[in-house]
Amino acid sequence: MKHFRTVGLLFSISLFLFITADTGSAITVDEIVKKANQAAYYKGSDGRAYVSMTITDSQKRRRTKKFTILRWDKPGKDDLYCEDQKYYVYFHLPADVNKMVFMVWKHVKSDDDRWLYLPALDLVKRISSNEKRTSFVGSDFFYEDVSGRNINYDTHELSREDKNFYVLKNTPRDPDSVEFSYYIAWIHKKTFLTIKAEYYDKNGEKYREYVALRESTIQGYPTITKSVMKDIRRGSSTVLEYANVQYNTGLPEKIFTERYLRRAPVKYLR
Amino acid sequence: MSSGDKIVEVSAHHPKTVAVLVTGLAFLLALFAALPSFWPQTFKNLNSLHVDTDPENMLSASEQVRIFHDMMKKKMALYDMVIVGVVNDKNQHGVFNPASLKNIYELTQFAKTLSWPDPDNPGHTEGVIEPEILSPSTVDSIQQDGPGTVRFEWLMRHPPLTQEACDSVRRKALMIPLFSGTLVSEDGRALCLYLPLSSKDQSYRVYKKLREKIATFSGDDRFYITGLPVAEDTFGVEMFIQMAVSAPLAMIIIFLIMLFFFRKLILIISPLLLAMLATVCTMALLIITGNTIHIMSSMIPVFIMPIAVLDSVHILSEFFDRYQESRDRKKTITGVMSDLFMPMLYTSLTTAVGFASLALAPIPPVQVFGIFVAFGVMLAWIFTVTFIPAYVMFIPEKSLAGFGRTGKMDDKQVGNSLLHRTGLFAFHHPVIVMTGVFLLAVVAVYGIFQIRINDNPVKWFEKKHPIRIADHVLNQHFAGTYMAYLSLEPEEQHINISNFADSFRRRMNEEKAGTADMIPGAEEAFISLDKKLQEVIRENSAPEQPQALVSLLRQYAEKQKKQFSDIHAEEAWDEVLLFMDRERQRFETFKQPEMLRYMDRLKNRLLQTGVVGKVNSLTDIVKTVYRELVSGRQEDFVVPQTPEAVAQCLITYQNSHRPQDIWHFVTPDYKNTVMWLQIKTGDNRDMTEVLKVVDQFVRDNPPPVPLRHEWFGLTYINVVWQHKMVRGMLNAFLGSFLIVFLMMTLLYRSALWGFLSMVPLTVTIALIYGVIGIIGKDYDMPVAVLSSLSLGLAVDYAIHFLSRTRAVFSEKGSWSRCVEPMFGEPARAISRNVIVIGVGFFPLLLAPLTPYKTVGMFIAAILLTAGAATLLILPASITIFERFLFPETASLSLACRCGTCIISGAAFVALVVVNVVQFAQIGWTTIVWMSAAAMVFFAVLCFILSKRRICR
Repeated sequence: MKHFRTVGLLFSISLFLFITADTGSAITVDEIVKKANQAAYYKGSDGRAYVSMTITDSQKRRRTKKFTILRWDKPGKDDLYCEDQKYYVYFHLPADVNKMVFMVWKHVKSDDDRWLYLPALDLVKRISSNEKRTSFVGSDFFYEDVSGRNINYDTHELSREDKNFYVLKNTPRDPDSVEFSYYIAWIHKKTFLTIKAEYYDKNGEKYREYVALRESTIQGYPTITKSVMKDIRRGSSTVLEYANVQYNTGLPEKIFTERYLRRAPVKYLR
Repeated sequence: MSSGDKIVEVSAHHPKTVAVLVTGLAFLLALFAALPSFWPQTFKNLNSLHVDTDPENMLSASEQVRIFHDMMKKKMALYDMVIVGVVNDKNQHGVFNPASLKNIYELTQFAKTLSWPDPDNPGHTEGVIEPEILSPSTVDSIQQDGPGTVRFEWLMRHPPLTQEACDSVRRKALMIPLFSGTLVSEDGRALCLYLPLSSKDQSYRVYKKLREKIATFSGDDRFYITGLPVAEDTFGVEMFIQMAVSAPLAMIIIFLIMLFFFRKLILIISPLLLAMLATVCTMALLIITGNTIHIMSSMIPVFIMPIAVLDSVHILSEFFDRYQESRDRKKTITGVMSDLFMPMLYTSLTTAVGFASLALAPIPPVQVFGIFVAFGVMLAWIFTVTFIPAYVMFIPEKSLAGFGRTGKMDDKQVGNSLLHRTGLFAFHHPVIVMTGVFLLAVVAVYGIFQIRINDNPVKWFEKKHPIRIADHVLNQHFAGTYMAYLSLEPEEQHINISNFADSFRRRMNEEKAGTADMIPGAEEAFISLDKKLQEVIRENSAPEQPQALVSLLRQYAEKQKKQFSDIHAEEAWDEVLLFMDRERQRFETFKQPEMLRYMDRLKNRLLQTGVVGKVNSLTDIVKTVYRELVSGRQEDFVVPQTPEAVAQCLITYQNSHRPQDIWHFVTPDYKNTVMWLQIKTGDNRDMTEVLKVVDQFVRDNPPPVPLRHEWFGLTYINVVWQHKMVRGMLNAFLGSFLIVFLMMTLLYRSALWGFLSMVPLTVTIALIYGVIGIIGKDYDMPVAVLSSLSLGLAVDYAIHFLSRTRAVFSEKGSWSRCVEPMFGEPARAISRNVIVIGVGFFPLLLAPLTPYKTVGMFIAAILLTAGAATLLILPASITIFERFLFPETASLSLACRCGTCIISGAAFVALVVVNVVQFAQIGWTTIVWMSAAAMVFFAVLCFILSKRRICR
């Protein structure tokens, strides 16, 4: 039954999705994509994690940032109905960006809203930008990697599958809007976690690579707790390590507002 | 029979053996050089032809400034770039119109594809480094977007379709100081694209591809491709043109002149063959020994050819004059060779010394040039004394029948009578001649003081060369295309660690007091940290540097935090860690606002020089981001008040498409920053001025933290090598002057004769450099190199003249009776030489690069002056000093002449000093004392030697 419902949903969301006739498995490409999206960004009704971010440049110089991410999901119809979200990123270290906050209201159907709070300037700024593939605080991760790329921006095709992985080729619908010409994602068959992703440029060269380094099951949810993004051309890489990961913590929606940028919701950040 | 005569005798007897040996040698050497150059795979163990056009190689790779330059380039990820300037003079909006911007966008997209798999490094690519391309479509803009909103986006995501959109791109770009004057010209009419390369050797490929693409564009846009790598490649090509054109042309010209003088084709082929053989051997050896073809070494053939011919011209000239006396080629040639052997040996030696002295200049290409020309000159001499007699023997007697001077008709020739009259004039009016020389010398000395030391590698190209034009146009539109980088770093300071610990503890206690009430357990955690600090200090295990101490305590805090699973204790230790991180950041020098403001003041001072068009620095980034975050208004274009504010501006800046850009200006530890200077001209003089201004500024305005400032970048490297060259050349000149003087003294066994032979060349060099000073020609690399080699060449005429004078004198017994014969054959040989060699260098004037032209022009001038000086000054001087030059007493050995001996000793000491000073680090006081002692020693020794019985 569930299978049929998914197919119906697929058509209602997008008529333009390219579907590969799938002979081997009983799952459609669209289903894989959605499940992967769900596994990566929508576990539980909310979530929080303490993140250590280590950027290593081509000269092996390292810098570390530590921050807490809070996530709130707009209640959806079911697990696969991935809707709007809100993110609140609070910086602990380095000391000179302590208390800095980056907040996003992610909209599936329109441009996101973004805010930045800079305590040393005593300044809350809205950031207007339609650019989502810019560096996240100087790291090799993009802002889009942290909050999730809208699955409708790409067409997906199952290029192959093996015992453990669905290998998807994702091609942007608007090639001018992004720097990649396509990316290949390895999605684990059981957990639907993206274990690896390779980005190819317009010359067909691989220039960027994501690899999941550690997986733990937290509150029953398989979770990537360590991952790396490499920028091959620049020779730099960024490792994210997640600690104190918690789901369904009952974060109130109200803390994801401008008012709480200046007055951080301390009790949720520890 | 002297050894010289023996060599000639043997050669004349075995002409075939000599010919086979000489040509065989040349063939073998050429083979060894050619094989690996054409089949590098087959002959891996042999060195192949390698061209080097990198101006950095003017300095040795182990030179401190180059090591620093390479290190900083790597540290700051700075690359060599191809620069594409786009200018549109027809459109009223410059290049900011839809059509031009479309071309620029397309060219950028095209440039992104210009990378290829690196054959030497699988998995890597070479060519243009895409993420570092600077172009309107690859950089971000930051600007206000309604109240409380700031907008980050690509400066030009797509080529704009309307004029308004184009204007907007321009407006946005000009708002960002980093772009204005660099990416976009300040007048808003031109654009520059910067394409960083993985390595310099990719530039020609990129350049060619860009040209192909540009050729497909329509419209009024003009594209100027420049940047150092492109210039270098072009330079390499021009260098080969020079070698392929100038050297053969020199050959042809020398051939024609000799044909004119000697009118015997078969005879004049010999010097040409000889010159060719000497050149081939030298160049082959250059390649075989693994040396590169460089701007200097590419001139070797052009130098060897005329010099190699030089001796032969003397021989032929004499042979020509004497042949009809005996009509016996063997007798004539052995006679001529016997007369000329010593002068030729000495002229070759002195020339070789002149060139070899360049090995003392601390500039590798100049050293290679000097050594190989010296080698070629000596090789040419060996060939001359063996090959020429052998060659003469090959010529059947009958084909020489009509050769040579016959009868008196020659006296009527204008040239000869002119020479004759010159000689008589110098003889009869020595005082007039010497007064004239003195007056000229005064003018020359004045001129020498006017000399302006300056070089500019771009000016090595002719004015109409595309590179010069691009240089001119781009520097008109932009703030300057010559980059120099100023690195600033806090000086290592010795801080008393216990003083530091005290101030640290004070701050820690403040922190403790502030957090104790709010966070349970914080107080205990801070106390624990304090205990650790005391323990370290007490046990005397504290690191010497405060920074290391902070790092040690941080590690301690991190370890403590991990020990507790209790959430409150963790929280408490988080507080300690935050405090410790703040302590760590106190060492981040270039996040401190006062430091950034200091850099801003330095920048303003630099802009006042008029030479520096623009300075890009971390300060500009911070000020720009701050302005846009706060209000977008000019009054907020300032450095914010706190280091935290600076850090938050920078992290905001890094939320861009190009987070790496900031690391071109500062290291991630914020301890080393680089200010980028855009300078309008590549003149070393201007860069030198900038160096002085910065030194003065730092002296007058001590920075908030003591800073070490150090330069890098090619514009600076040029200054360093120029400085080395000027000093090195002066030493080389002094050294070769002394050696030549010693050789002359030795040759004539008299210091007086030694002095005499140095007079014409000294006057010549003084005059040439005087003229350079007076006409305002910059003293640059080619001019500097000229000094040493002109010395070696100019002395030749004096040697020939004086040697012959002495020979003739011993026959005639009186100087007055020598004048007539001296201004016959010998003077003719000298003047022919001047013409043949001087004109032989003229083809350099046709070379496409200015240094070659300079050399060609000045060599000709030097030879002409030296010839005239020899023929005027020497007879005049001999007339005046006849009594001293030809004393009644019989000639004695050198050791018996006390004066000559002492002077030689002094010259020797000076020679040693000149060389030692360059290579050993000895103070001048020590040297003066040591040389004084050495001179006294020589004086005493000479005195004792001259008092021996044998000398009486």
